[in-house]
Amino acid sequence: MLNDIMLGQYLDRDSIVHSLDPRIKILLVILFIIVLFISKTLLGYAVLGGFIIISTLIAKIEFKYILKSLKPLLFIISLTLIIHLFLTKGGEVIWEWKFLSIEEKGLNLGLFMAARLIFLITFTSLLTLTTSPLELTDGLEKLLNPFKRFGVPAHELAMMMTIALRFIPTLLEESEKILKAQKARGADFESGNLIQKAKSLIPLLVPLFVSAFRRADDLALAMEARCYRGGEGRTRMNELHLSRADYLIGGATAIFLIFVAILI
Amino acid sequence: MNLTTKEMIVTSLFAALTAIGALLTIPIGPVPVTLQVLFTLTAGALLGARLGLLSQILYLFIGAVGLPVYAGGGAGLAHLVGPTGGFLFSFPIAAYIVGRIVEEREDITLLGVLGPMVLGLILIYILGVVGLNIATDMGLKKAIAVGVLPFVIPDLIKALAGAYLTLRIKRIY
Repeated sequence: MLNDIMLGQYLDRDSIVHSLDPRIKILLVILFIIVLFISKTLLGYAVLGGFIIISTLIAKIEFKYILKSLKPLLFIISLTLIIHLFLTKGGEVIWEWKFLSIEEKGLNLGLFMAARLIFLITFTSLLTLTTSPLELTDGLEKLLNPFKRFGVPAHELAMMMTIALRFIPTLLEESEKILKAQKARGADFESGNLIQKAKSLIPLLVPLFVSAFRRADDLALAMEARCYRGGEGRTRMNELHLSRADYLIGGATAIFLIFVAILI
Repeated sequence: MNLTTKEMIVTSLFAALTAIGALLTIPIGPVPVTLQVLFTLTAGALLGARLGLLSQILYLFIGAVGLPVYAGGGAGLAHLVGPTGGFLFSFPIAAYIVGRIVEEREDITLLGVLGPMVLGLILIYILGVVGLNIATDMGLKKAIAVGVLPFVIPDLIKALAGAYLTLRIKRIY
């Protein structure tokens, strides 16, 4: 379970999409989202759908993973579809039964909204499926760098991300330990009404918070003892480099997406 | 923005805690309830406005890069730009507001923490419903019925637990 969490959704494959620079991938996803909200025609959506399928094939990601990413939002997608089907009125009546009826406008709008959500989810999850959390953090830091002069703490954010990622498994293990320790002392987390259950959380959460604060003290001391002094003049083990392939693929895809937004 | 090393680390540990809060589900009632909101509100109350805000932004980043830390094991940018986006984006703002109000008080009482936390919850609901409505166009009434009503009572209880927790921890630290 811990491993699952740490790698996130990342799937290790040998593909062009995987080796693309994370910065390019993030920018392309942002562009895709904008195009998705601009595009209003059936043809435009068909092209975007095809684009997602082709990208998935090139990335060598099996479609079952893409479908899996849809699962948590399936409820909200079907709800959107149903609400529009029955409650948006206008145009020809397509189907009628007693007080229920589906009209043309509702059908169109419902399918359109559902498609938009599905595209949004599948394409953005393609990013996290093909890029590891640490790569994405590096990419975000580099992308935020120009905003430093406006007060965006790019290096600090990336550093804190790395620390947070590093400590999620540790704190999760800690919370499981505390849970077991309190159970051994007779704490009851399962029975009782709402208030009692909320109360039973206190003996779990107080030690968890206290231990988090202690760890923060220790780590701060350790980092300062090793002369950590922020991002100024820091060198890295692995530098991100934009290669010619990055520019070519990124540029071509961006032109394609802008073309879809403007012309179709 | 100048952060000391200590502040940076405390902030990131709270981001990690919030992420864990979303993973710990407690079987209260029909809807599985996560502790995530509790951690968001408590982060504001314990860390103050600035660090509370930062910790919640970090939490959003952690989810965005693909770790399953959004409620119900969700992950990825899709949640930020999808129907649940409004709720997620409201967390940093809610933490900021809670922190801002709690910081200004000299002595901390249970009600003095609970009040701002309830305010934070209301803010989360408002932004959440607006986000839900933008993404799905379902109308405000339905958005409230789906996104707010089932959660009000568990959330209020979590706010109460969060307020109590804040008092306890502040006494130790």
